[in-house]
Amino acid sequence: MAWTCEQIESRLSEYLDHLLGAAERHEFEAHAAGCARCTELVGRVGKLVGEMHRFEPLEVPPRLVSNILEQTLGKRAEKKGWRAWLGWLRPIAQPRFAYGAVTVFVTTIVLSQALGFQIRKISKENVKPANIYRAADRRAHLVYARSSKFFSDLRVVYEIQSRLRPEAEPQAAPEQQPAPNQRPGQSEGQPTRPRGLNRANNHNFTLLASMLDAVPVRSMR
Amino acid sequence: MEQDAQLVQHCLRGDGSAWEELVRRHTRRIYNLCYRFTSNRHESEDLTQDVFLRVYRTLGSYRSAHGGFATWMTSVTRNLLIDHYRRTKRDRLTDSLEDALPKLEEKESAGRRPDQAALAGELSEQVQRALGKISPDLREAVILRDLQGLEYREIQEVLGVPEGTVKSRINRGRIELARLLEQMGVRPE
Repeated sequence: MAWTCEQIESRLSEYLDHLLGAAERHEFEAHAAGCARCTELVGRVGKLVGEMHRFEPLEVPPRLVSNILEQTLGKRAEKKGWRAWLGWLRPIAQPRFAYGAVTVFVTTIVLSQALGFQIRKISKENVKPANIYRAADRRAHLVYARSSKFFSDLRVVYEIQSRLRPEAEPQAAPEQQPAPNQRPGQSEGQPTRPRGLNRANNHNFTLLASMLDAVPVRSMR
Repeated sequence: MEQDAQLVQHCLRGDGSAWEELVRRHTRRIYNLCYRFTSNRHESEDLTQDVFLRVYRTLGSYRSAHGGFATWMTSVTRNLLIDHYRRTKRDRLTDSLEDALPKLEEKESAGRRPDQAALAGELSEQVQRALGKISPDLREAVILRDLQGLEYREIQEVLGVPEGTVKSRINRGRIELARLLEQMGVRPE
């Protein structure tokens, strides 16, 4: 005998929970397949049940377990010795704090290396604030002096190179008419390109010429 | 389950750590059961504490031969929840204004697409709201079956009713819940 819509509705949960026998299951599905109302009902309730089975349980409030234990077992005896001493570490024993601690440690190592600390040779004198300040000050001055010397050297080399390079490139800018009061060999204004510099009145000319003798020209090229 | 029975035996001999283990194993389940029934986190927290206090006092009456410890605890919880429901029933009857508020929210949410509600993770909350509107008999049957994952036989033990009644309550509860959710404009995907 074919099932009715009322039977489908009353046995729906048994069908969803696989409690129907093979014959009953077949009858159930045969009716549901030919009835739009029952198909919709089975689909809707089936989806709801499936979703409810997937719901994540709520997290327990943090103090609930300890409150229950306190109410049943009484106030717990305080820990003594090193366990009590390390008790404050428990709240911060988390991965994010560990990551932060490692970052701080690495930064400290990098900074101490930059300031010239030798960790293996460290002594009590090194950790005094006055000595730390002195070492940092000395390190900063050294870095400044080395940088100044480096740029100064670069400047000299650049000057020498500009003097030695032949004037091969043609002048791109059109020749300007000399000003009435302008002396020969003297240009108006300050040229932007170093090669265009007029060094006729350069007082360092003698000094640079003497340096040319000292610089090995072949190696410069 | 056998482990629970062993822990109970240790508790009865005065082993505090065994009791602590039992509390840790079952707190989340009991707390969720209370929340699904009351829809209130503070009340659920208080009720969970009451459940464990009662279990602690009556632990000697538990017989492992009669069923699992979890089922026994669920029965204790259910009894407390019924007491709580009766105690707060008068407050709920006088609170007609609050009853009207969810209806207004239903109208607002009816215009929202159901898939959006589900994607936003609101389905659990919507189901919780709908659960609060069905009768306590149907509600506890659905909670025990679909949210606590108990078998029909276990539900029969907890509720103390015949198997046919359990099946009928679960079925009517689910259909009623689906109908309420549809009225609220929620359709699980």
